[in-house]
Amino acid sequence: MLSLPPLALYIHVPWCVRKCPYCDFNSHTLTDALPETAYIDALLADLDAEMANVQGRVLTSIFIGGGTPSLVSGAGYQRLLAGIRERLTLAPDIEITLEANPGTFERERFADFRRAGINRLSVGVQSFDNEALARLGRIHDAGEAVHAITTAREVGFDEVNIDLMHGLPGQTMASALADIDQALALEPSHLSWYQLTLEPNTAFYSRPPELPEEDVLADIQDAGQARLEAAGFQRYEISAWSRPGHEARHNLNYWRFGDYLGIGAGAHGKISRPGDQGLEIERRWKTRQPETYLARHHDPRGFMAGSRVLSRDEKGLEFLMNALRLSDGVPGELWRRHTGLDEARLDAHTRAPIARELMLETHARIQATPLGLLFLNDLLALCDDSVLARS
Amino acid sequence: MTNDASNGTLKHIRNFSIIAHIDHGKSTLADRIIQICGGLTERELKEQVLDTMDLERERGITIKAQSVTLDYKAEDGTVYQLNFIDTPGHVDFSYEVSRSLYACEGALLVVDAGQGVEAQSVANCYTAIEQGLEVLPVLNKMDLPQADPDKVSHEIEEIIGLEADNAPQVSAKTGLGMEGLLERLVSFIPPPKGDITKPAQALIIDSWFDNYQGVVSLVRLFDGTVKKGDKILMKSTGREWEVSDIGIFTPRQKSTGMLRAGEVGYIIAGIKDIHGAPVGDTITHAKTPQVERLPGFQKVKPQVYAGMFPISSDDYEDFRDALEKLALNDASLDYIPENSDALGFGFRVGFLGTLHMEIVQERLEREYGLDLLTTAPTVIYELAMEDGEVMYVSNPSKLPDMGSVNEIREPIVRANILVPQEYVGNVINECVVRRGVQLDMQVLGSQMQLVYELPMGEVVMDFFDRLKSISKGYASLDYSFERFDAAKLARLDVLINGDRVDALATIVHRDQAHQRGRSLVERMQEMIPRQMFDVAIQAALGGHVVARSTVKALRKNVTAKCYGGDVSRKRKLLDKQKQGKKRMKQVGKVEIPQDAFLAVLKVND
Repeated sequence: MLSLPPLALYIHVPWCVRKCPYCDFNSHTLTDALPETAYIDALLADLDAEMANVQGRVLTSIFIGGGTPSLVSGAGYQRLLAGIRERLTLAPDIEITLEANPGTFERERFADFRRAGINRLSVGVQSFDNEALARLGRIHDAGEAVHAITTAREVGFDEVNIDLMHGLPGQTMASALADIDQALALEPSHLSWYQLTLEPNTAFYSRPPELPEEDVLADIQDAGQARLEAAGFQRYEISAWSRPGHEARHNLNYWRFGDYLGIGAGAHGKISRPGDQGLEIERRWKTRQPETYLARHHDPRGFMAGSRVLSRDEKGLEFLMNALRLSDGVPGELWRRHTGLDEARLDAHTRAPIARELMLETHARIQATPLGLLFLNDLLALCDDSVLARS
Repeated sequence: MTNDASNGTLKHIRNFSIIAHIDHGKSTLADRIIQICGGLTERELKEQVLDTMDLERERGITIKAQSVTLDYKAEDGTVYQLNFIDTPGHVDFSYEVSRSLYACEGALLVVDAGQGVEAQSVANCYTAIEQGLEVLPVLNKMDLPQADPDKVSHEIEEIIGLEADNAPQVSAKTGLGMEGLLERLVSFIPPPKGDITKPAQALIIDSWFDNYQGVVSLVRLFDGTVKKGDKILMKSTGREWEVSDIGIFTPRQKSTGMLRAGEVGYIIAGIKDIHGAPVGDTITHAKTPQVERLPGFQKVKPQVYAGMFPISSDDYEDFRDALEKLALNDASLDYIPENSDALGFGFRVGFLGTLHMEIVQERLEREYGLDLLTTAPTVIYELAMEDGEVMYVSNPSKLPDMGSVNEIREPIVRANILVPQEYVGNVINECVVRRGVQLDMQVLGSQMQLVYELPMGEVVMDFFDRLKSISKGYASLDYSFERFDAAKLARLDVLINGDRVDALATIVHRDQAHQRGRSLVERMQEMIPRQMFDVAIQAALGGHVVARSTVKALRKNVTAKCYGGDVSRKRKLLDKQKQGKKRMKQVGKVEIPQDAFLAVLKVND
């Protein structure tokens, strides 16, 4: 009997007070009052339409991302989570994360969020340098960020993540390390420490700021890594650091190629089902525009914008795109369990990267070498090429 | 039909070409002449102009001549048959041009009245005069404010020695002076000589392959007649064919059943291979094999060679098929399989010149959808071996062990360069750097004419582009092969991470080897992107490293944040990276962009 991968739930809140110039996510500047009630109603209707995809599984984690999900009130989340509990079985130790902006307005709601059942807060600090924050178009300052994280601890969040960027316009080694030190001083359980990249369809992409040179970026990466390790944080994924045992379970599910329902404007989901040839994997995504999404609540077309069933090679490649981001990779048996493919397919993808010493040569673990982690983009291109060359 | 009657017909025929530099308005002038002669209505002309532009482009590419037969009613009421033979206008195709001119009694030298004379026109004009053509200078673009007819007339007289005081002044664009031009044309250019009663003698001006008709030959009849159904003989091959169709272009193909002495038209005779009807060959009837071959026939030989390799080895078969198809229509295209350690299986392809090379590459990529990597072009070297044998090498990596070679000889060209006086210093410097020997220097009007002997290897290495850039685009160049000369030459190898890359080898003069080597490795260092490891680039002469540089390793290449939810954005990134790599060739572990294989061309900048 085929066992399906674990199931998580992603909820997207598509509004922001202001769009940041580096952000390419589905976020929209809020012009009128937030249609909170209507949106939560729509989310629950969206979930109703997804129920067939649950296939009897227990929900292991929920992640509310955006946009700026902290714009929604604690009462709103109370109702949303109650609605989810009515429809789905939640694991007893379920992780429920909310992305929060560290502004004053949001901070006052942290206690309400905690009471609503949210047990992990991810705070989008990005930097503790006011000049850098202004350049990034953030609407909070360093003082508010510090205050926000302290408040989160005070109101009972044991699991707190700080989102921190490096490679910012004009950043030096010293200012990058100062950001890390300030973050560590606030004793979060988790740190997302990632390099700013200029993505298409962003303000930064059309008018690029001057970024530190490649060698400076690499130096910052090395020094920051050492600093975090010395403070007892382990790098378990390319950009994710945590105290042992405090990894983000929701993200781990992505990286292990688990399943997830996606509800909300522009949300993506991944669903596995028993298929003719082992496992059928479908990617599904919802309509992006918030107004359209709300309107679809009472529209027979529903919320879906598109879906596609992955080909054999896509399954393999997407598994590797996720799994190889983990420092320790994944156990080898996960390949068969989460893709339904045999080891010959794995070999087809990994022959070239193994030959180039970018991956470990063992079926027991699917894991990048230290070199492979540094050159993951090249590694993945090789995984892709090697199957294309054969097909 | 009596002799008199036939000569009566000849009297009203005018066969002419137009000699013009690119952009001096040849196509517009030709279209205007066609329009005046009623070949096309205003509406058709518009379509025709578009067609011709496409056609011209294709023709330029297929390197084909074309002709138009027109009726012109002169002011005195006489109707003339004008046969306008259009020719390609580039130095690579000078043989084709010479055959087109041979078929004419006259030519119009069209000069942009704002720009003056260019070297290419001069060379073609000299060819025309040598072949006894009457050349009528025409000043075009008179509607433009910068037109300076006095200066340009003076220049034509100085440079070419043609009387230009009374040169017709026209604007093909607006139609200004066009009627007058045609009157001058019919009075100035003599009718063809020829005898319709003599055995047939026809010149093949050009031939091309048509999928439906087989080989179509554009011909000029000098004597006699050829009719549909006649048995004809190709003098060069001795083979006989039966004429299945014969006629003229109006500009559309029109069967007439017969061509007579003095006329220009086409012959189709069931020939399947373009080598069966070579340019410059003579056609007569099978029953009159004693008819002499017209002078000047040459077998066209490639002058420049380059390796061409499919980026994806899967495309090799398609590449070979595409070359076969192109060669159907291009007798000068020569290719043999080549196996490069660095680039895999491809072909060594011979061209008439670097423009021909660019055209062929562009056609292969555009029409056949191939992604190709072309190595730097090289000329043919003549090797006198110790054992007395003489061999030719068109691929630097195939240069034999120098111990067995007594002498290497390089092809030398005679180059004519026309350039405004203010840039003469730059041009002389450039010629010196390229080992040129000055033969002559003259003031000609507002320009200088420089005559140099240059190694052809130096000329094909980007010389023309370089000339243009050091003269603000004003210099013009024409050259022709003279002879092979012994020189101190050696192979300059390029090693990437210690491995010799055969496709990057070049043959250089020993005195220049160090400077070329340094310049080459520096260029390559700029062109090769940073990779996962250091890339060492070395230039070596006979195992001795003369220059080196290093592309420092990248320290990482990983996308920082991955939002697991939406995989499509990650896929896009991966696809983008792959698109970038598509233009790269993997040599060993190193990815080398295609441009880097041409770096050797730019070492003089």
